[in-house]
Amino acid sequence: MNISIEKKEFSEAVHIVSRFADRKSATLPALSSVLLIAGDEGIKLRATNLETGIDLKLTGKITTDGVVAIPATILQQIASAFTQDGNITLEHTGDTLMLTSGTGKSSIKTVPYDDFPSIPFPENPKNRIILPGILLKNLFTTITSCASTSTVRPELSSIYLSIEGGILTAVATDSFRLAEKKVPLSNKGTQGKFLIPAKNALDIAQALPDDEIIMSFDEHQCAFVSEKGMVVSRLTNAIYPDYRQIIPKESIVEAVILRKDFETALKRTTIFSDAFQKIRISFDAKKNLFSFFARNVDIGESVETLPARISGSELELSFNHRYLAAVLSLTNAESLSLTASGIGRPLIIKGVGDTSLLYLVSPMNQ
Amino acid sequence: MDKSNPKELWEHILTQVELSISPANFNTWFRNSFIVKIDDGVVYVGVPSQFFKDWFLKKFNTLLLKIVRDVSYEFRNIEYLIVKDEHRKVPKENKTVRGALELPLEEFYINKSDNLNPRYTFETFVIGSFNNLAYAAAQAALSRPGITYNPLFIYGDTGRGKTHLIQAIGNQFKKQYQGRKVFYLTSEKFAVDYTDSVQAGTANRFKDKYRQYDLLIMDDVQFLSKKDKTQEELFHLFNALYDTNKQIIFSSDRSPASIPDIAERLKGRLASGMAVDISEPDPESRMAIVQKKAALHGIILSDEVIEYVATTLSGSIRELEGMVNSIVCHAQVKGSAPDIAEVRQSLRSFTRPQKNISVKNVVDKVAEFYGIDEESIYEKTRRREVVRPRQIIMYLLREDFNISYPTIGSKLGGRDHTTVIHSCEKIKREVVVDSELSKEIQNIRTLLV
Repeated sequence: MNISIEKKEFSEAVHIVSRFADRKSATLPALSSVLLIAGDEGIKLRATNLETGIDLKLTGKITTDGVVAIPATILQQIASAFTQDGNITLEHTGDTLMLTSGTGKSSIKTVPYDDFPSIPFPENPKNRIILPGILLKNLFTTITSCASTSTVRPELSSIYLSIEGGILTAVATDSFRLAEKKVPLSNKGTQGKFLIPAKNALDIAQALPDDEIIMSFDEHQCAFVSEKGMVVSRLTNAIYPDYRQIIPKESIVEAVILRKDFETALKRTTIFSDAFQKIRISFDAKKNLFSFFARNVDIGESVETLPARISGSELELSFNHRYLAAVLSLTNAESLSLTASGIGRPLIIKGVGDTSLLYLVSPMNQ
Repeated sequence: MDKSNPKELWEHILTQVELSISPANFNTWFRNSFIVKIDDGVVYVGVPSQFFKDWFLKKFNTLLLKIVRDVSYEFRNIEYLIVKDEHRKVPKENKTVRGALELPLEEFYINKSDNLNPRYTFETFVIGSFNNLAYAAAQAALSRPGITYNPLFIYGDTGRGKTHLIQAIGNQFKKQYQGRKVFYLTSEKFAVDYTDSVQAGTANRFKDKYRQYDLLIMDDVQFLSKKDKTQEELFHLFNALYDTNKQIIFSSDRSPASIPDIAERLKGRLASGMAVDISEPDPESRMAIVQKKAALHGIILSDEVIEYVATTLSGSIRELEGMVNSIVCHAQVKGSAPDIAEVRQSLRSFTRPQKNISVKNVVDKVAEFYGIDEESIYEKTRRREVVRPRQIIMYLLREDFNISYPTIGSKLGGRDHTTVIHSCEKIKREVVVDSELSKEIQNIRTLLV
């Protein structure tokens, strides 16, 4: 093999692809490697950890065809250390890969590529939707933090995606809070739902281009195809709990607060929260005031009172402040609406004018 | 190797595969895979994801096929299934306490299911004269649910198979009427659910939840006694379901009329449909049960052994099952079906503590039980009320304490050993047909222990 690629493109591609290689010390060397292919379809980089997989196209000049596997970490380190612009050439002879870039020349030991697994594509290509990659990217990066990090319940460490009536709904919960985001789609015909492991979703989001992509899925596998290449992920094969049932239908008090006020007040109060990260919020409907309160026996206590539009009855609830702060990254709305339906019942937070988001936080014991 | 046992077959495959591929490959591809089932010559291998499926098909299919063919030509093909996440091994993890209330996802999770144990089916249910009325009622209720016998109330002592029967109805209903909702619960669960809902102020949701079912099965309703509010709730639920012709099934350890501390109006309703009891299983049924239970474990017991187990040991079907399990366990250790002597040995330790007991003691207890003078046992009298106890004493001494026939004879007033043999055989025969007698002997045994 003998190919030549522009440095910037190569280093960006390596950066994306190497995340998909197995980062643990995998038993199979091929899994912690990146496969470099030069052939009829152009230059391609490929990596997989058997959960997710990527196949990325590169533009470059092919002098002779060939396939080679290189340890991902080595390749990543090399690619991130490039300085000047220009091209690099990669030449494969025997069991070494010669890498020439401007001033330097390095030869890397390769890994046998026979063991490199093939990357599966969903069997039923009918289940597919087209949407801008940026949309999915934002969806995944914002919502993933709400999914559980524990592996005890695989369905909770996954993002639930449901496509129905031209709307893509994404849900993530770790059983303490829940986020639901909706995105309208251009084609309305497709229906379906699946669970994508949250940590895979993060990797995928990072690899997606901003342009249009095709998302297709079957029972076990989903794929995101763009002009640049393809990313696939295994799906969680479990049943997602019927989360709609826990969304309170009635409410006893609603507060509308400026996002800016909420953010800064919460930040200041957080300093005084205790080991359980507890913060108390109270609704004062008569004076139209919303307040945060936190007390830490070792530090002291703090109260922040904000002007708000409150309708309903008085109420005090305690929350983990991290779960309250999480809503800020989920919406860009100028004002937030907080709806409570009683002591011990979840609080609903929405962005005013932002119908796409529904955020549900479970209170702490008083 | 048992080639129809998926686990053993897979272990055999693994040892073969390990020899032919690199350790790294072996660990990566085979560690999380296993045989799901073997069906009609096709071996189904469960793998974690599509990656594995593709790779197995591409790389290992011929190898695996060759290995299983070497084991047996019955295996036609290998198929790969992607298994559900729950089936995969998950590393143990300690849950961190975060002080926050969890969203009640768990609860709804359970709600999805019908609470039925798929193990309880009619296929494994033994029908005998003691329960055929209950069985017939169950079938009738299944053929026209909500109309024929509503509610169906099944009662009987513990361990008679009530739960098995009512769960089997649920499972059958599910099969027969797909799309209709079944729910099984114990009355205790109902009571807890109710109190919880009152506490959380969601009593309305509680009501709605139970009213949606087409078949509601409630086990052990006797535990509702004294729980007045729960009874009232059940009363309303009953009316709601009954009025919409939804089938309701109850079980209890006594008849509706004799459940203490339960509201009259509920009592009346419980008895308003069909109340049928499961009585004590007769010896033939017990034999059938022993046979079926043993067969489920793949062990064929000889008639002699079955008869011995079914007649010697009293107690509920549940205890009978425990005894069969102990025999099965013995058989598995030994690798063959046990004969009567072994069973006798293994069950002796299982049921009664080995105890040295004087003949006089036995005579005392039996005489006391039948209210006769113990001296008359030793005498040569042939009065009816003495002869029977004397025969029972001989039977017990022989069966339970393994005393030789001549010794028994000499201890009981110098009788010939053939008389003793005759008496033992006679009682043995009668125990099988006379449930009254077997009950008496059982009671005497409890006195002796």
